[in-house]
Amino acid sequence: MTDSFTRRDFLKVMGAGAAATVLTGCGPASRYVTREPYTKMPEYTYNGQSTYYATTCRECAAGCGLILRTHQGRAIKAEGNKFHPLNQGKTCARGQATLHGMYNPDRVQFPAQHARGDATLTEMDWDAAIAVVQKALQDPQGTQFLLGTASDHLFDLVTDVCQAVGAPSPLRFGALSMFEARATLGEASRAVFGKPDLLFFDIANADLVISFGANFLETWLSPVAYTRGYAQMRRGDVRGHFVQLEPRLSETAAKADEWYPLLPGAEGLVVSALGKLFAEQKFGVAPAAFEMVDLAAAAEASGLTLEQFERLAALLLRAERPVILPGGAALAQAEGLETAKAILTLNALLDNLGKAGGVFHTPAAPLADSYHRPASAAEISALVKRMNAGEVNTLLVHGVNPLFELPAALGLEAALQKVKTVISFATFPDETALAADYIFPDHHGLESWGYQRVQTGAGQSALSGSQPVVVPYYNTRATADVLIAAAGDALPFKDEVEFLQSKVAALVEAPGGFYSAADLPSFWALFQQYGGWWQNDSSASAPSAAGALEKKLTFHAPEAAHAEGEHEEFSLYVYPSPILAEAGANKPWLQEIADPTTTVMWNSWLEMNPETAHHLGIEDDDVVRVISPAGEVEVSVYRYPAIRPDVVAIPFGQGHTAYGRYAENRGVNPALLFSAETNAAGDLAFGGVKVKIEKTGKKRPLSRLESKMGVYGFGEEH
Amino acid sequence: MAIPKIPEFKAEWKEGEEGRWGMAVDMDLCTGCQACVVACSMENNVPFVGEAEAGYGRSLGWIRVERLWEGQYPEVKMTPYQPVMCQQCGSAPCEPVCPVFATVHSQAEQLNVQVYNRCVGTRYCANNCPYVVRVFNWADFDRPDPLPNQFNPDVTVRRRGVMEKCTFCIQRIHRAEDQAKAEGREVLDGEAQPACAQACPADAIVFGRLDDPESRVSKLSRSNRGSHLLEELGTQPRVTYLKGGSNDRLG
Amino acid sequence: MTVSAKALAQVHPEAHEHDHEAELRKEHLMLDPKPRGEMNALVMEAMLTTSWKFWAVAGLMALVTVVGLFGMWGYSISEGMYTASVNRPMYWSYFLVHTVFWIGISHAGTFVSALLRVFRAEFRRPFTRAAELMTTFALAQAGIHIFAHMGRVWLAYWMFPIPTQRLIWPNLHSPLMWDFLAINTYLLSSTMYLFLPLIPDLAMARDRSTGWRKSVYRVLALGFRGTESEWTHLRIALNIFAFAILPVMFSVHTIVSWDFAAAMRPGWSSTIFGPYFVVGALQSGVSAVAMVVITVRATMKNMTYFVRPEHFDALGKLMLIISMAWAYFFFNDYMVQWYGGDSFTDSLLHFHEAGPGGWVWFLMLITNILVPWLVLWNKQWRRNPWILFTVGLLANVGMWAERFIIVPVSLQINRVPFMWGHGVKIFRETFPYVSVEIPIFIGSVAFFVLLYMLASKFIPLVPVWEVQEGQMAHSIRRYGKEPVITVAELE
Repeated sequence: MTDSFTRRDFLKVMGAGAAATVLTGCGPASRYVTREPYTKMPEYTYNGQSTYYATTCRECAAGCGLILRTHQGRAIKAEGNKFHPLNQGKTCARGQATLHGMYNPDRVQFPAQHARGDATLTEMDWDAAIAVVQKALQDPQGTQFLLGTASDHLFDLVTDVCQAVGAPSPLRFGALSMFEARATLGEASRAVFGKPDLLFFDIANADLVISFGANFLETWLSPVAYTRGYAQMRRGDVRGHFVQLEPRLSETAAKADEWYPLLPGAEGLVVSALGKLFAEQKFGVAPAAFEMVDLAAAAEASGLTLEQFERLAALLLRAERPVILPGGAALAQAEGLETAKAILTLNALLDNLGKAGGVFHTPAAPLADSYHRPASAAEISALVKRMNAGEVNTLLVHGVNPLFELPAALGLEAALQKVKTVISFATFPDETALAADYIFPDHHGLESWGYQRVQTGAGQSALSGSQPVVVPYYNTRATADVLIAAAGDALPFKDEVEFLQSKVAALVEAPGGFYSAADLPSFWALFQQYGGWWQNDSSASAPSAAGALEKKLTFHAPEAAHAEGEHEEFSLYVYPSPILAEAGANKPWLQEIADPTTTVMWNSWLEMNPETAHHLGIEDDDVVRVISPAGEVEVSVYRYPAIRPDVVAIPFGQGHTAYGRYAENRGVNPALLFSAETNAAGDLAFGGVKVKIEKTGKKRPLSRLESKMGVYGFGEEH
Repeated sequence: MAIPKIPEFKAEWKEGEEGRWGMAVDMDLCTGCQACVVACSMENNVPFVGEAEAGYGRSLGWIRVERLWEGQYPEVKMTPYQPVMCQQCGSAPCEPVCPVFATVHSQAEQLNVQVYNRCVGTRYCANNCPYVVRVFNWADFDRPDPLPNQFNPDVTVRRRGVMEKCTFCIQRIHRAEDQAKAEGREVLDGEAQPACAQACPADAIVFGRLDDPESRVSKLSRSNRGSHLLEELGTQPRVTYLKGGSNDRLG
Repeated sequence: MTVSAKALAQVHPEAHEHDHEAELRKEHLMLDPKPRGEMNALVMEAMLTTSWKFWAVAGLMALVTVVGLFGMWGYSISEGMYTASVNRPMYWSYFLVHTVFWIGISHAGTFVSALLRVFRAEFRRPFTRAAELMTTFALAQAGIHIFAHMGRVWLAYWMFPIPTQRLIWPNLHSPLMWDFLAINTYLLSSTMYLFLPLIPDLAMARDRSTGWRKSVYRVLALGFRGTESEWTHLRIALNIFAFAILPVMFSVHTIVSWDFAAAMRPGWSSTIFGPYFVVGALQSGVSAVAMVVITVRATMKNMTYFVRPEHFDALGKLMLIISMAWAYFFFNDYMVQWYGGDSFTDSLLHFHEAGPGGWVWFLMLITNILVPWLVLWNKQWRRNPWILFTVGLLANVGMWAERFIIVPVSLQINRVPFMWGHGVKIFRETFPYVSVEIPIFIGSVAFFVLLYMLASKFIPLVPVWEVQEGQMAHSIRRYGKEPVITVAELE
C-alpha cells in the first residue's frame, strides 16, 4: 500500500475484490448515538442498500476480523474480513452465530441491582451505576478486576485505571485458555526458548504434523487460522501427513491420517520415546533430554506398542519439515510442564525452529509491550484466598463467567460471599452476573468500540479493530465509558473513543503497515474501515533453544485407574465443545448445530467405548452418574466407537444454570468434576481426574442428527 | 384470461449439459467444523427447532455434515466429513413429482428452485430426493424478539407447511449478476459466493460458473479425484465431491 | 317383470313337502320369495325403525367425529405438521397409510357390485347397495386423509385444474395429480353408480312414506314410475356403468400405487405395485364388505331374511381367493426386489423383518395369509358370522400393516445411511406430539360409521327390486327326485 491511499484507489481495490463490499468507516460509529425512527434515516443509509462494517469477532480471544452486513440499521450477517491477516475472509461457526448473541431475547437490557442469586432485576439509571463504580474505586486496595480474554482494549484501559487509582492489577481468565493450558505453554516457552510466548506453529508449510491432543481445528488458540494452515498443508505439492495422539478421536483427529489412542498423562513419555528413537536413528545417540526414557515402559504406560513408536519415528526421519504440537489436554496434567518442554525440545531436535513448517515466536502485537497471558488456575486460586481473607471488598467482573468456567473445587462461589460488592458488566444474565449485586451491562461486541491483539495464528503483527455496527439495541453502556466516568480526573480521556485514539496514535507513524495515513483522524477512519491495522510482512522470529537438548526431562507413568471390580475407575477426558466452546451455549443456532463427532444437538453426553458400555451393561441414552472426588454429574451415554475403553469423555460448554433460555438447565458442566490440583506452571491439572460410573436406571434420549441405525446398524448392538 | 402454459417435462435439462452454477467440495480439506451450516442458516433465515424436534429429525439446516465409521476400535476410522446440500441436479427427481410446480428448474440460473409461494406441502419432492436434502417447515418455529432483527431481507421467511432447501444462495448470485450487468461485464469467478463457501475456513467449498471452463470450480470438477453423489441415478448433480488426498509422500 | 313372485311360488306347490327342497329354500334367498308388498314393507320397516340404542351410537359417533376428526384436524392445521408423526426422512406417514387404507376399502364396493353384476354372480343381490355405499363413504374418508396430510391444506384448490389469476396449471407430470384426478373420477362415477340402482327403491320408498321423507324421495326418485321403458333405460345404464366403472376401479388403485412406484426409492420403485395394490385393496375391501354385511344383519330389523349364511359362504370364498392372489403378488414383489440385489433394497427388506417394526411385518403375513388360509377352507367356519367377521377384521389389520410397512417403515431406508430414519422411535417417544393421526383415524372411522348409519335410515339398504328380480328368475326344477336350481333369463 502506498502512503497516499485515496478514495479512488480504495474503490479500485474493492472493485477488483470478489464481493463488491462497501466498507464504511464512519457510519453509526459516531460517538454518541441516538435511536431515530426510520422516517429520519441518516444520510449514509439508503433504502434497500446494505452497508458493511469491519469489526472484530469477540466469540473467542483469537481476534478474527469480521465484516458485518447491515441493512436499515440492523445487522444481518457476519462475514470474514478478507484483508485481515488472521482469518483472511473466513469465519468459524461461532463467529457466524455472533448475531444470535446480539439479538438474543435474554440479554441484560438495563443497569440493574438485585439480590444475589435472584434473577429479578431492579432497574437503575446509569448515573447511579457510575456512582457505584466510583465508590468502589475510592477503595483501590480492596478493588479487584476480573476480565475475560476479549477485548484487549478494555484490559489496557482497566490496567491504566488500576495504575491511576492504585488498585491491584486486573486478572484475565477464560475457559479456553484453561483448556489450552496457556500458562504451561508460555512457561515451557520461557524455559526452552528463553521467552514466554504463545508460539506460532507453521503447520501450513509442514509435511508432517504430529499433534498431542491439540484440537487446532476446533478451539485451540486460533482455530480459523490453524484450519487455513491445515488446508494449505493438505493442498501443497506434497500433501502433508498428519498424526494425532489423544485418547478419543476428536474432530481434529478425524482429519488425521493416523490416530493413536494414548492414555492421558502418558504424552511426555511418548514424546521422549519418539525423541530418543529419532535421535538414535538419525544421529546415533539420544540427547540428554530424552535418554532417560525406557521405551518398553513408555509403551506399556501409554497403551501404544513399540511398533507404533517405530512407525512414528520412521515418519519423523522421512519428513523434511515436521512439527510437533502441544495440545492443551497433554499439558493439563501433573507433569504437563515437563511434557510441554519435551514437545518444544523435540521440535528443537527436529531442527524446525524458525524454519518453514516449524515453530516461531509470534511477533508482538501492535501496542503490546510483551506477551500477557491469561491467569492460571493457581493465580485464580490466590485471588480466591484473598477473597476468603476479606481483602477484596469489590470485585468487578467483565467478559468472563468464572462461576461456570472455573472448577467448583476452587471454591469461588463460597469466596464470593465474602466480597462485599460484586459488580458484573455482563451482557447476559450468566451465573456470575446473578451472583453479583449489580449488573451494569456492556454493549454486545458488535455494538462496541475496541481492539484485540492477534496473539497467535498470523506471522504478521496485527491489531484487530472493533466498531459498533449498529446502534445499541438496549439501554446498555460501554464498560470503558463507565470506568472513565467513574475514574473522573484520574484518566486523561473523556470517553472510550478518545482512549482508543490515544492508543492507536502510536501506529500512525509505524512503518510496514497495511496502510498509513498522514494524521490521526485519517488513520482512525482507515482503522475502522479495514477493521484494524497490521503489518504487510511476517515478522515471526526464530526461537533459540540453546542448551535445551541437554536438560534432562523425566516422566512417570500416569497413575493407573482401578480397572477391575466394583470400584472400576475411568480417566475423564474433558474437551471444549467444538461448536459451543466456552460461551456459545446461549446462541440457539449453535445449540442446534450437530456436534462434528457425535452429531448430538442441544445437550451434553458422556462418550464411552461400546465394549466398556457392554461390560457395564449400559446402553445408548442411559443416564449415568459420573462421580469424581470433587463432585458428580448425571449425563446420558453416547457409545462412541473411537475412544479408549478405559477413558470416558464429556464436552465442556453446557450445563448452565443461568445464561438465558437456550443455555439454562441443558446438559452438564464437567468442570464440577475437576479437582483444584495444578501443575508446575500453575495450570489446572484436569487431565488426571479419575471418575466412577454408576447407573441411575433412567434414560434420556440424546437428540442426534445422524440416524443411529444408518450409522451403527439396526437390529444388532454395535 | 390467458391460458396457463404447461412447462415441458424436466424442461431445461439436456443430456450431458454442464449447467451454469456449480460447487466443488474437497472432502480432504473439510474439517467438519459446521461453519457452513451456521453461515447458511444465518444467511437464509433458517429457523432453529429446539432439542426435542431436532431429535425427531425435524431440524431445518440446509446443509448437513455427514460422517460414518469404518472398522472397530482401535482400528476405527471416521469417513471423511461430507457436507451435503441440495445437489442442484440437472435432471432433478424432485421436479416432476410436485403437483403444483413449486419445485422447478429456473431457466436463467439453471438451478433447481423451490417456489415457497406455490408450495402446498405434499412433501412428495422430499420423498423423491435421493439425497434427502429437502427440509420441511413442520411448524412456525418460534424465534422470539429481537431475533427476527437479524432476518436477511433478500430471503423469504418461510411459514409452516412449506418445503425448503439449499438455493446456492441465489440472492447472492443475483446480486453479483446485477453488479456485473451494471458494470457491463460478465460475472467474475468467485464474485458470487454462497454463504457456506464464503465462511468455510478450510476453503473446502468452491463455488462458481460451470460453463466457464477456466473457473476454479470447473477445474476442480474435472479433477480425477472428483465424483458425484449417487452418480448411478443419473440425476446430473452440480456438486462435485473431491475424495482422497493429493500426493501424500509419507502415507 | 311379467312374472310375479307369488306366481313363482306356486309353480311347485309340492316342494314344500319335500325336505331337501325346503332346505334349499331356507338356504337361498333367491329361492325363498316373499310377496312384493311384504318385502317392501320389510325394507321400509328396517329403514324406519330406530331405537334409543341407534341414536346413542349415532350420537357417540358424531361426538367422536367432531372431536377426533375435525377437532384434531383443525388443531393440526393451526399448529403445523409437527403434530403428526412425520419427520425427515419419513415425510409421509399415517395419513398416507390411512388414505390408501380407505381407498382400498372403497374398492370392494364397486368390485362386489360391478364385477359380480357383470359376471352375473347372483349372491350379490341383497348387499350390492351396502357395498356401494361403502365405496362412497370410504372415499370421502380417503379424501379427508389426503387433505389432512398436506402442509398447507387451505391452498388445496391449487391442485384443481381451473384457470385462475395465478396462471399456473397443475403439474400433470406428477403422480399426485394423476392420483388426485383418478380419485375424483372414481368418486364421481361410484356416486352415480350408487345412485342409479337406487332410483326404483327411492320410488318405492316415496310411495310408502309421508311428510318430508316423501318430498325428498319424490325429488330423488326423479319421477320413476316403473314403466317398461324406464326399466329398460335403467338396465342399459347400469350395464354401461358396470362395465365402465371396472377400469376406473382398477386404475384408481393402480394410480395410487404409482404415487409410490413412480418415485426413485428403494422398495417403492417396483413395477408390480399396480396389481399388487389392486389385489391388496380387494383383500381389505371384500373383508370390509363382509364385516359391514354381518353388522347390518345383526343390527337392523328384518335383515336375517335378506342376508343368509350363503352370502357369508360366498364372501368367504372370495376372501380366500383374494388372499391367495395377494400372497402371490407379495411373493412376486419381494422375490424380484430381493433378487435384484441392490444394496439399499436389501437393507430395506432386512429392515422390514429385522427392524424395530419387524413384528408388524410378521403380523401382516399372519393375518393376510395364514389366518384366511387356515380358516376359510372350512365351509362351516366361513358360514359363521363371528368367525367371518374376525377373519375380515384381521385381514383389514393386515392390510393396514402392509400399507404401514410400505409408507413410513420403507421411508426409513433411503440411499443415504446417515439420513436413515430413527427407526420407529418416533412412534414411541413423541407421544404427546403424535396424537393427531390416531384420533383423526378413529374420528374418520366414526365418521364412516355415522354416515353409514344415517344412510341406512334414509335409503333402503337392500336393493329390493334387485332381490325381487332375482327371485323371479330363480326356480327349482325337479329331475327325478332331485330338486335343481334354475335361473331364467329375464331380458
